[in-house]
Amino acid sequence: MSDVHELRFSRQLYSGEAVDQAVKAFARFAAFDLEQTEDHWVVRMRPSDPNLARRLRGELGNHALGLTVQRGGAK
Amino acid sequence: MTTSIEGAPAGLVVADEQAAAVHFLVDEELYPLPAIYGAAYVFIDRCYVFLDRPEPARVRVVLTAKSGAAAPEALRALIGEFANELLSCAFRHQIAQDNRVLIETATMQALAGAMGQPSLDDLAKFDFRDQGFDDPLGIAMSWEEKHGRKSPKPESEGAP
Repeated sequence: MSDVHELRFSRQLYSGEAVDQAVKAFARFAAFDLEQTEDHWVVRMRPSDPNLARRLRGELGNHALGLTVQRGGAK
Repeated sequence: MTTSIEGAPAGLVVADEQAAAVHFLVDEELYPLPAIYGAAYVFIDRCYVFLDRPEPARVRVVLTAKSGAAAPEALRALIGEFANELLSCAFRHQIAQDNRVLIETATMQALAGAMGQPSLDDLAKFDFRDQGFDDPLGIAMSWEEKHGRKSPKPESEGAP
């Protein structure tokens, strides 16, 4: 069983919809668990291929950031 | 293991060679958030970009090489180019802010012109009581109104 990787996206910098959409885009590469705290959108992922973990983290972050910028920011 | 980068402000830029990443702490008072977004967006295709806010009015930008390995020189070049792009975005943002009123006015005039001449109904509904502008110096007054001979005041009854 592969490790769980946690990404914490600041709610002041990332749009929640953008993070959701990014998670959906990568849903077939990993199992995701979403949670929100006062300051962060927390994404926990368990990649189907552990060798892809680093790339998946990076691409997920880029995707969420790109969608946030296209939406004009976090708000 | 993290190390500082030669030529970069100490404490603001830190390189993590093991993770092939470089961390840049950006002051939002110098670089507004839209500029940070703009610069980050440009770098999305070159590296993994992650933003975080470790403290108020500060944004930490983490740039990670997609290949997974990067020499110190490569990290230095990456953060240098990002800083240049950030400065460019901040300057463009400032220009856009300064010229916002001008751009909006020109756009409004273009749209109003494209709507064509006002109809008779529009003119009938127009409220002419609305004063177009203040004229405290009397610039819009005619010469006669401003400098013409004043009509004599009627003499009041019972005056000596």
